[in-house]
Amino acid sequence: MENSLPAPWQKALDQIKTWARINSPWAIHYNSGSCNGCDIEILATITPRYDLERFGIKLQGSPRHADVLICTGPVTRQSRDRLRRIYDQMPDPKFVVAVGSCGISGGAFHGCYNIVGSISEVIPVDVYVPGCPPRPEAIIFGVAQLLESLKK
Amino acid sequence: MNTLFALIALMIFPGGLFVLFAGLVYEWADRKLVAQFQNRIGPRVFQPLADVIKLLAKEEVVPVGVNGFLFMALPIAALAATLTAALYVPVVGLAPAYSFRGDLIVTIYLLSVLTLCIGVAGANTADRFSLIGATRTLTQVFSYEAPFMLAMLGPAIMAGSWQISEINAYAASKPWLIIPQVIGFLVALVGLMGKLELPPFDAPEAETEIVAGAMTEYSGRGYAIFRIAKDVELVIGLTLVAAFYLGGIGNPLEFLLKTVVLLLVTAGLQSLFARLRIDQTVGMWWRVGALLALLNLLVLVGLRMLGWLGVWL
Repeated sequence: MENSLPAPWQKALDQIKTWARINSPWAIHYNSGSCNGCDIEILATITPRYDLERFGIKLQGSPRHADVLICTGPVTRQSRDRLRRIYDQMPDPKFVVAVGSCGISGGAFHGCYNIVGSISEVIPVDVYVPGCPPRPEAIIFGVAQLLESLKK
Repeated sequence: MNTLFALIALMIFPGGLFVLFAGLVYEWADRKLVAQFQNRIGPRVFQPLADVIKLLAKEEVVPVGVNGFLFMALPIAALAATLTAALYVPVVGLAPAYSFRGDLIVTIYLLSVLTLCIGVAGANTADRFSLIGATRTLTQVFSYEAPFMLAMLGPAIMAGSWQISEINAYAASKPWLIIPQVIGFLVALVGLMGKLELPPFDAPEAETEIVAGAMTEYSGRGYAIFRIAKDVELVIGLTLVAAFYLGGIGNPLEFLLKTVVLLLVTAGLQSLFARLRIDQTVGMWWRVGALLALLNLLVLVGLRMLGWLGVWL
């Protein structure tokens, strides 16, 4: 962002922007080769029982509308380019949450011939949520940690 | 002095800023009501505002293969059209800022400009999801636009005027027009939902099939402006239907009560029905909606020509 305004105004504007970003993280969900366990937990997270709309979190279909890429599973050779492309399609500022053990280290698929590795080997990851699969509460906690880190 | 008044009417009240924020509040109310119907807590009051500010502050990606000028200009045209429409309707129960004979037709056309802009915006991009979304948006326009217009003409014929303020005054002086014209009211309300692409008429932006429809390639500013335009259209549409069918709008309290009641009904319908396929939408509107609205209108015209309108209703 260019600094064209006088300092106090720029500061106030930045504060408003940060406030809006923290309160309206729209997510997109991508499975880069997981066993579907984490995806089911993510879908459970956005059900009325957990009601993520309370925090302004909304699942978006288009990467162009999303701020947070929620990514599950190890990255397979097939999906490496797709993951990269989805990440590139998202407009700045963008964040990545890796959900599940596989996204951290490759998990149960570690060392397989068809696996590139963890998600951080392809795109920069901001928050890791461990678990196999993590509970919906853990996923919400992970996203909340991300939002918390935005405040600084 | 005249220019000053015009500027205030355009920029602050009742056009411009005021409807803009009213739109955001109504979007929140709509989302909150749907959430309550689904047994959720729902979004916070400032949620739509935070969404819009965040989108405005985001990077705007102009994809390869689009006409850059159209890509930038279409959201602005859409917002301008809906804000202009706000000048002709009795928002908050005050007299419309501007009024002339036949402004009902102008307002309905101005409200259609938004949908048209969304359709053209989708067709402008090279992305296949936007193209399908644009085709669906434009197909849907042809299905609900005619019945919606016919339903709006019902009160106009009863009042014997095409001027929104006169119809509003007429509706306030008579028993609520919803009683003699239940069909017209239903067609108008459901037509409004079709206009706003709310469920069950959200096939043009069906997330599960075509990503985000015509809006797929829009990010940041353009998408934010389209969202605001849609919110403004929600307020104006609710105002129009309430003024015509729910006994007119004379003061702010009436405005608030009547539009919120309408919003409650639309939110209920939204959570009751699943998404219709595009062919089901078109079929329903032309086989049922248009015929009923036409019948309603023909009966009214017949009564008027026989001179019984004042006697019976």
